Amino acid sequence: MEYLYIVPGMPGVSIAILVLFSMIFLFFAREPVHKMIQAMSDGSAGGLRKLAEWTKKSAEAMREKDKKVLLESGVAKMQGEILQEFSRIDAANTKSLSGYPKIQLRLDESISRIERDYEDCGQVSPMAPGWSEVVESIAKAQGSTTDRIIEKMLGEIHKSAVAGEKKALSEFRDATSKRHKILTAMAPVWKRVEKLGKDVGNQVDKVMENGRNIEKYMTQYEKISAAEPESVDLLSSKVTKLFIISLIVICVGLVGAFINFNLIALPMSELVPAGVRVAGMAVSEVSALVIVALELVLGIFLFEAMGVTHTFPQIANMTRGKRKIILYGALFGLLFLSSVEASLAVLRENLAEAKTALDISLAGGVAQITQSLNSNITVIGQALLGFVLPWILAVIAIPLEMFIEASQHAFARIYNIVITLLCHLANGIAYLIESLFKILMHIFDIYIVVPAQIANLIAGKRAATPRGHSGATAVAS
Amino acid sequence: MINILKRSVLLATLVFGAAACTDSKLYETSYCTLVDVSGTYASEKDNVVNIVKAGVVPEMVPGDSLFFVKIDSNSYAEENLVTKLTLDYRPTKANGQKLALAKTLDKFASGKARSKLTDISGALMLCSDFLKATQSGTQIMFVFSDMKEELPKGVVRRFKDDEFDGINIAAMNIIKLNKDSSNPEVYRNRLEKWDERLVSSGAKSWNTLIDASKIQEFISSTK
Repeated sequence: MEYLYIVPGMPGVSIAILVLFSMIFLFFAREPVHKMIQAMSDGSAGGLRKLAEWTKKSAEAMREKDKKVLLESGVAKMQGEILQEFSRIDAANTKSLSGYPKIQLRLDESISRIERDYEDCGQVSPMAPGWSEVVESIAKAQGSTTDRIIEKMLGEIHKSAVAGEKKALSEFRDATSKRHKILTAMAPVWKRVEKLGKDVGNQVDKVMENGRNIEKYMTQYEKISAAEPESVDLLSSKVTKLFIISLIVICVGLVGAFINFNLIALPMSELVPAGVRVAGMAVSEVSALVIVALELVLGIFLFEAMGVTHTFPQIANMTRGKRKIILYGALFGLLFLSSVEASLAVLRENLAEAKTALDISLAGGVAQITQSLNSNITVIGQALLGFVLPWILAVIAIPLEMFIEASQHAFARIYNIVITLLCHLANGIAYLIESLFKILMHIFDIYIVVPAQIANLIAGKRAATPRGHSGATAVAS
Repeated sequence: MINILKRSVLLATLVFGAAACTDSKLYETSYCTLVDVSGTYASEKDNVVNIVKAGVVPEMVPGDSLFFVKIDSNSYAEENLVTKLTLDYRPTKANGQKLALAKTLDKFASGKARSKLTDISGALMLCSDFLKATQSGTQIMFVFSDMKEELPKGVVRRFKDDEFDGINIAAMNIIKLNKDSSNPEVYRNRLEKWDERLVSSGAKSWNTLIDASKIQEFISSTK
């Protein structure tokens, strides 16, 4: 350090001289130093600002792209749902309206019958007019004369009149009774007409309800087509929910696949006893893995052929006959693999028992393989598990399709979140760097404050003197 | 350009495929058990065979190998190999092989093999040769001895620097001699010397197992 001492043996003076010179030097070099600090700030913080800008643009572009995909898929899905609703309504209407002519015919028949009965009721039987007065007059006239012949005639007439009155009354009663009977018979017909009327009303209500459903779907379709923010949010929420649910189901399915794999890996070494390994796994283990994967693939084909999933358009576009072939092929394949797995599970239990017996024997004990009840339950349980697990694995095809559909949006969202975080982080660091360089600049200004103030004083005095004498420029602080 | 790209992809696939199909030997384990038949340790044969049968053999899985070597006056000789076994990849066949091995070991235990001097180094070198020949990923030696070496005149045993390269060595069932009982430092110094010799000759690890039930733990730790 001593070589830095300008005045030998006087470090304090030497340092003071050095500081003084450096202050003077830096005062004259203040502009380039300021520019240098500014350039350094722009170079580092500016780069980060650019990065933040790029990430922001990238996030926006991704958001727009995701929105487009979401809307398009939403529109396509809504179209599919409307189409499905239309075909359902078509089938329902065909079914409802197919019975309508019959109802109409029965209604017409009932109405005709009512009309006929009504007409029948309208035919009034003639009443014997004034029969009682005639009979009473004749009865009064009977005792008024002494002529025996007239008296006898009047008696006969009275008798005939009474008989006529009786007959007329009887006829009247018969006719009334008949009308009552007709009216009584009309009651069930009225009830039938009322029921038919209700049936027609129900069918009409159904058709109206279907119409309302279509209206509801159409409203949703219009909203999505118009790309309203609410509909985008709704679609996003639906897809995210679908992604989470399908992910959970797939995870559970993978655990099942893991159990399935462990169930058949050991017995597979008996069937595929190769010493070669693929990526660190024994060939027997790879074979077990392939069987599990095949079950999944067969499940995909099965549900594809059934029309439950629509992963492969080629299969969906096939004729019914061809799809049936694939369906039966996949079913047979799954049945075969599940049978193989059941037998492997039994073999696994046998191998485990043999190993236990051997270990006991090697340890000096007496090996006894007893066919106890527990052992049978284990074998049956493992065989059942081996048979059932492939079918359960096959069902994963449904959530797998849902997962694939929803994953694009989910990954886009994750990407957006990450990149937005990066944007904020870059902005924050840039702000911090800019602040640091500003502080550095202030520290520099503080260091040269003494010469700067002297220069200001000189500049101030020169400015105060008459114009002709001032030639120097003022020193900026 | 497209053709070059296609060829590159094909080549990469082939290379990756070849790399993916690895030799299973790397995942296999070879065991070598050395049994001292000299002096007082000769009476321990029964005990040692039982430990090997109950502790080492059950840990062997299809593809693993076992060499059973006896330590006598001049151990670096082929006739010191009592038996060797490489398990079949089929579990059922491997079980049969293990049973046959157990019978051979029982026969050895009931035999009259005995020697005056103790050439532990020669047996270790012989085992090292056998283990290296297997090219197994894990190689383990179990030494059943009092670890006191007494070489005949004219017998030279010098380990190469890489004599036990990659081999895990464990000394088991070490019987303490009379001198050891009177001064434990003698025993401890003897073991320390073995530790230095074997580790400086490339041994991956040197352990002394007092409890036979720790064999499984030791084997698991080496894999």
